[in-house]
Parts: sequence; C-alpha cells; structure tokens
Amino acid sequence: MSFCECLKAYPEGSASASRLALTAKGLGYNSLIICNVEPQKIFRPDAASAIKGVRVIVGAEVTADNPRALKSRVSAMRARFPFLMVTGRTDEMIRAASEDPNVDLLIHPCAYDIRRSLSIATARAAKLNRVAIGFDLGALAHLRGSSRARWLEAARRNLQVARKFELSLVITAGALSHLDLKAPRDLIALAEVAGFERKEAAEALKLPEKLVELNRRCWTSPGVELL
Amino acid sequence: MRSRLPVLRARRRYMAFELEAEGTVPAKELVSEIHSAQVSLFGDAGAAQNRLKLISFNGKRGLLRCNHVHIDDTRAILATIRSVNGIRVALHSKGVSGTIKCATEKYLPQLGKISVENDGRRIELEEVSGCIIRTHGLKVDLCPDDRNKTKGSDTRYLGLTSFDLSGGHEDADGTADGL
Repeated sequence: MSFCECLKAYPEGSASASRLALTAKGLGYNSLIICNVEPQKIFRPDAASAIKGVRVIVGAEVTADNPRALKSRVSAMRARFPFLMVTGRTDEMIRAASEDPNVDLLIHPCAYDIRRSLSIATARAAKLNRVAIGFDLGALAHLRGSSRARWLEAARRNLQVARKFELSLVITAGALSHLDLKAPRDLIALAEVAGFERKEAAEALKLPEKLVELNRRCWTSPGVELL
Repeated sequence: MRSRLPVLRARRRYMAFELEAEGTVPAKELVSEIHSAQVSLFGDAGAAQNRLKLISFNGKRGLLRCNHVHIDDTRAILATIRSVNGIRVALHSKGVSGTIKCATEKYLPQLGKISVENDGRRIELEEVSGCIIRTHGLKVDLCPDDRNKTKGSDTRYLGLTSFDLSGGHEDADGTADGL
C-alpha cells in the first residue's frame, strides 16, 4: 500500500520538510507531496532526502487573483512541478481551475462559503479535464459544533455530486505542522465520518501518488505519450 | 454492571495510542478532552453506545477501551483532538487488540525513560533563528525568535530535524556553539 499526503512545509507551515517526512514515515506513509505557494522558498528540501523510506515530492499550490492570472501561472508552473494544486476560494476560481486540464487537484470547493456546493457545470468540466476534487479533513479537527456540522453537510453534498459525475477524489489532512499529520487509518476513519466509503477513502489517499506518476511521463497531447 | 449470561457481555477492544505533544499532558486532562471530543462528534447517544475508558497512560503512550463495533469511530475521535488545555497535541492510534495483556505486549514497548535533552543552544541560520527547546533522536523542536513563523498552525515551536541544521556553518551543524 502506498499512501500519500499533500501538505505545507516551513516557511508556510511550522515544520521543516525533513521533520514532516520523519513523522510521515513513522505513521506509515510512502510519499509526501509538499504543496507550498512558493516552492523555491522551502527550507532545506534536500535534508528531507536524507530520510530513507519516504519519498518527498515538491509540488506547488497555485494562487492568483483572477481566472486569467491563474491560467497563465498554471501553464508556467506545469513544466517545473509534477503536481499542481488549486484551493477553491471564489466561484470564478473554482470554475477556472476545473476547466484547466493542467490542474491536478482542486481542493475543497466548499471552504470559502460553506452553503455553496460543487456546481453541476464545475463537476462536468472537472470530469472532462480530469481534475481531482480534494477534501481537506483538517477542518474536522479545527472546527467544533455548528460550524463543523455545516462543513460536514457541505462535504456530503460535494461528495454526492462527485460520485454522480464519477470524479476522482482525494483526501488530505491539510497539515501545516507535523502535529497535524494523521495516520492513514485515522484519516480513513475521519473520512468515513464525513460520508466516504472505506474503499473510496483508501483509494482517495493513494491517488496523488498515481497522479504524480502520470505527470512524470512525457505526454505530447492527451492520450499520446512520447516514449 | 455484570451480566449473568456470557453472550450478553459487552465485547471490548483495547486501542493503543501514541501522543505527540509540545508539553506534558496529564492523564486527567487527556480523558476529559477525549470525552468532550466524543460528545462533540457523535453526541450523547453515540457516546452511550461506545463508552470510552482510559486504561493506562504514561505521558507518551496509552491504552483506551472501546466497543468492538466502534473501533473506527474511536480512531476518528482521536484524530479530531488538536489541543489539550492549550497545549498542541497529536494522537495517533497504534493498534487494536482484544485483551489488555495482548495490546500491551504488541503495541506498547517497554522503553526506558524518553531521553529529552533541554539545553539552551541557539540556532542562527539565514532563514530561521531561535532557541532549541528539546531534541529527541533526530527531532529538534525550536522556539523561533519571530513568533509569526508559526502563525496559522497554532503551534508554539517549529519542528525540524538534525538534517536541517547540518551544513549551516562551515565547522558546525548550524548551532551557535558549534556542536
């Protein structure tokens, strides 16, 4: 089994890449994807390779103010990083990210406004462009009471839409420090609380690594690989 | 309450867990946090079906009793605990077993006292500077001079490893006294 996590390292989080790798190895992960907004500023990414048994992949989170800037930044970063993540903050950004085949993961489209869920048009575009939908289960630990109930409701609705359109799902703990990391089994148990099936959750935890493997290969156009 | 019929006896499982924390956490506070997390996530009715009891806790590892059909719920409860009395913690489940003896032998190794060094060494690097709070094996916890460095994640200290600190200076591993 090869589980994989997407997280943030120092200076955007509060643990260095190697500390995250050490903790993740102890918990049973095989690889980590570090998705900082500024990947070139990660503190000592080379130190993480000293820890054997866990693969540290440097991806990137793309942020932009408007859909056009997002599109150009995504295409600029595509060649340099094997994994690109976009956090859905506004309706337009979610729509733009789902329509871009270069984006790998669109994380948590219900984070900015809990009442709104994944729209049908977005889901259809994500299906067409093979954009995976991510669920940040860290919110289950951050929030308490009614806000968590609302989050769970929104997540359940998103999950329904994602199942209807057969989108690929990803779950992550959204870790900002080594204390936020959760063991794969714990994360799957949390996902079950949020409405996932057990098998679905295990698949969702393995998907990011598969995406990285696909992106490492050289594609000339959709479905055509340069060997 | 004891049941007369063995078939009506509650089936128990024992979950071994490990605690990672920024400070020391007393067992009493951990128990109350676990119970409040359970009630918050599953409500009183859910808590009645899965009565949790802390069997033992030594500050680092512990044993929790739960019902045999609610093992995953118990895992989820442990995963939602973020801080105990203001101290940032992480709880990881290690494994589940049917008896206390078996769980202890399998998942709770009898280690000696955890060696935590606390020395007033400082780190002065380009990107990060601060006091070392404690080191344990490869792990180094650092209290940064700039408090904004840990903003957002609610932690007090930065988590680093000794690999991060090597090569910072020509003659040293990055610590100010050249260790």
